[in-house]
Amino acid sequence: MATKSGKQAHYEKAPVKIKVNGQWHEFEPGRDVEPAMTLSYLLREKLGLTGLKVACDEGACGACTVLMDGKAVLSCMKLAVEAHGHEIMTIEGLADNDPVIRAFAEQCEPGYGTALQCGFCTPGFVMATKALLNENPKPTAGEIKEGLSGNICRCGCYSGIARAVQHACEDTAPGEKK
Amino acid sequence: MTPPRPYTPRVARKFIGTYRPRIDALEKASGKVQFVDDITLKSRFPGMLYAKVMRSPYAHARIKSIDASLAEQLPGVKAVLTCKDPEVASLKPTSAGWTDGVDTVSYERMMWRHFRDRRVLGDHACWATDEVGAVVAAESEQIAEEALRLIRVEWEVLPFVLDPIAAMKPGAPVIHPEIAPRNILPKDAVGGSDVFVDKGNIDKDFARSEVIVEAMSIHHNATQASLDNWCCLVDWKSDKLTVMSNSYEADQSRMHISQMLGLPINKVRVISSYVGGQFGRGDTGDQPFFLFTALLSKRTGRPVKFRHSRRESFHDSRQPAIYTGKVGAKKDGTITSMYFKSIGNSGAYADHTMFALKFAPTEITEVALAHIPNVRMESYGVYTNKLPACMMRGVGNSQFNLIFGHVIDMLAEKLGMDPIDLALKNFGHEWDILPDRSLSAVLREGAKRIGWRAKRHKPGAGPVYDRVKKRGVGFSFHPAWHAEWQEARRGEIRIRITVNPDCSVVLDAPTVETGTGSNTCNVLGCAEALGFLGIGPGDILWPHTVDTETSLKDCVQTDSAVSYLQSEVVARAALEVKRRLLEKASALMKVKTEDLDISDGRVYRKAAPAKSMTVRDIFRKGDMLPVVVEMGRPPNTEKTGVPYIANFAEVEVDTGTGRLQVLKLVVLNDCGTVMYASGAEAQQIGGQVMGLGEALTEEIIYDEATGVPLNFNFIDYKIATMADMPDIDPALLEVWRGAGEYGACGIGEGTLTCTPRAVLNAVYNAIGVRIDDIPVKPEKFLRALGKA
Repeated sequence: MATKSGKQAHYEKAPVKIKVNGQWHEFEPGRDVEPAMTLSYLLREKLGLTGLKVACDEGACGACTVLMDGKAVLSCMKLAVEAHGHEIMTIEGLADNDPVIRAFAEQCEPGYGTALQCGFCTPGFVMATKALLNENPKPTAGEIKEGLSGNICRCGCYSGIARAVQHACEDTAPGEKK
Repeated sequence: MTPPRPYTPRVARKFIGTYRPRIDALEKASGKVQFVDDITLKSRFPGMLYAKVMRSPYAHARIKSIDASLAEQLPGVKAVLTCKDPEVASLKPTSAGWTDGVDTVSYERMMWRHFRDRRVLGDHACWATDEVGAVVAAESEQIAEEALRLIRVEWEVLPFVLDPIAAMKPGAPVIHPEIAPRNILPKDAVGGSDVFVDKGNIDKDFARSEVIVEAMSIHHNATQASLDNWCCLVDWKSDKLTVMSNSYEADQSRMHISQMLGLPINKVRVISSYVGGQFGRGDTGDQPFFLFTALLSKRTGRPVKFRHSRRESFHDSRQPAIYTGKVGAKKDGTITSMYFKSIGNSGAYADHTMFALKFAPTEITEVALAHIPNVRMESYGVYTNKLPACMMRGVGNSQFNLIFGHVIDMLAEKLGMDPIDLALKNFGHEWDILPDRSLSAVLREGAKRIGWRAKRHKPGAGPVYDRVKKRGVGFSFHPAWHAEWQEARRGEIRIRITVNPDCSVVLDAPTVETGTGSNTCNVLGCAEALGFLGIGPGDILWPHTVDTETSLKDCVQTDSAVSYLQSEVVARAALEVKRRLLEKASALMKVKTEDLDISDGRVYRKAAPAKSMTVRDIFRKGDMLPVVVEMGRPPNTEKTGVPYIANFAEVEVDTGTGRLQVLKLVVLNDCGTVMYASGAEAQQIGGQVMGLGEALTEEIIYDEATGVPLNFNFIDYKIATMADMPDIDPALLEVWRGAGEYGACGIGEGTLTCTPRAVLNAVYNAIGVRIDDIPVKPEKFLRALGKA
């Protein structure tokens, strides 16, 4: 989202500092970051963190969800400079054995389908779930529906996702149960 | 919530038909899967330029003159192509017909060669936001957009028409006069004439029918709304062109690009990796952007990326159709005549309009209506200045089911019959006697799961809840597609199995991975068929990238059929793998091949099973060469009929506010054989987001005064979220059986075909007033109830 780089900017030249997945990054205004640059653009294009997706680019689908200081934010609706001094967590910052990732991957309990099909919306759902469980470690079925209702899964795996979230907070992998 | 009821397989198998995670589940859940927009980051292609295309601000207009000189001077702009440039203007007219509905064909054999109404970057805008006039390559998307604003265009604004009925009238603005002088698409080679089915004599029969019902239903235009917006990167270096894209058909894209740009097929390389949802989008007329992006790459000598924004990805829609239906029957419920007429709004380009309006209903006539002696179907595809309507999940079938289920429900009421009994009395397929076993099983199971006997009451006569809420149940059913014989047009399906010396396996069963679950079906099928090696799905690698330079020809993700089509070939190829292994073993063990067998990874003498060698040792002590079997097989054309699908719905209508709540959906598919249970259930459940969306909320809205679409975004185009979805009960059945090892059929598209009609029939049962068009928004209820 770079604006025309020819014009001299009126903003401070101090670097924008963002902690991403545990590591501080500095972005130089004018070179790395522009006032109108979104956080989603910065994370994807400048840091190569492509887990988050830009699908609607206007805060309606949740595919770009990341955590800012542990809370879910839509990175397409956040300016990169707004993240200055904050801690961002993308899906790349989660371990492969993260209970939410495992629960989404392993959901196959009969009657609910899988928790993902094409997988495009999945990182957004996983991060929204992380934020939900940060605030509410044992959400009810209704709280899960409400907590994840900002995300669209066009493949329609909502039953499987809800089941995966329940399994994730049971803290055992669903494949090991039954 | 309904307690889940897992299905019981007809034939117990080790891997096929099981509940288990997808093969790509962990890569997807952890966000490691790379889609084309991820693969083509600027940091990975430092020389890359971005393309943006001009869009028409008018619903109908011609470019009289175009001046791009200011745009060309803007710093950062590397190339501007306009419709006046010879390399653009000389391109052949095209259409969406680069497949025959299922597979690659050439320009000469394209499906809709009479309707070549699309120009690549033409000067004739046929709908507001049509891609016309000019395209820019620049160092950034912002610069490209700014350059487009600097292009001076003199438009000749033309009168436009949005409504197909108005467009059919004399004096209406004509959109493609050379193809359709009255906007009505002429007879074509695939769909036939306007009356495309005329069996028996309906006129005579209606005159003597004891009971007749007539009805109308209107299907509006939902869009596929794949979250992964169209995107491609084209790199045309010297004489070689490489395309990375999220097209779902690599071989077809290569044919299209090769013929349109005059390049030998082996100089075009198309690479498709994971695609974030397809839903029919790829089978539409979108391909022109490959071509102008390619021309920009040629002009600049640099890789060029083109991608749609969300707004621009509203690029195709379901074919809107106004259907009328008339049914004649005897008093005992024997249907003797059915007449259906449709008027489809093709939008600005014909695309696959006639596939939806004629081809799909013809198939339905062949199977479900086989026992009805008199059938006539008549159809008109009409050009208007709306978004082109094309392929979308359940193409043609969804529209037909809306009227089909309507007249069945009405006739049953008029006859005083249960619609389930009426359906079983009349519908099956032509190779079958009535009642059809599959239809019977599907409807009885659905009735049980929804609580039909207890909940179905006379229209509007059920109990009232909270003083204003009324509930009802309804269903709709449809013949499934596609059984293997219906896939004959595809020709050979090719796969390759490589068994390495350590018994790990590479399964080349190329198809673009769009989320359907066919990849998991094929790996399960491969593990099943190679069971004698003692391996499991985890030992099999399925390459997820289709690359026309290295892959076999891809099997296109249409008709929901890839999962079993490839698995059938895999099953046969596995027999050849075994034969070759036995040959290797025979040489080493000095035993004739016919005296040997393989089980659980060991080759043994049939007469003395203790005398054995592991397959790995056969490799290790032998030539160490992998066993590679490539096999092609055309679909089995044995006519086996088709199974049935149905949806049952329970709804609650607030008669005060018009708010409709769907309480429960039962989704039933007779699969023949369930190839992968978790994936099949995911399709059944997942399809309801689209099916319920079409029934309740999804609709493209136009400004009638200007023809400009108003809701090309996910805020105003309403897609259901988790909070909007009811309890969904997926029911997998195995009653019918097709040909081959598995005898399966496609199920993915059919999961949503019956949803809107099931909901509408339930609404009628609840309130006793029919609403004929979808989506059924609150204002339509209030109007129907006389409250608005």
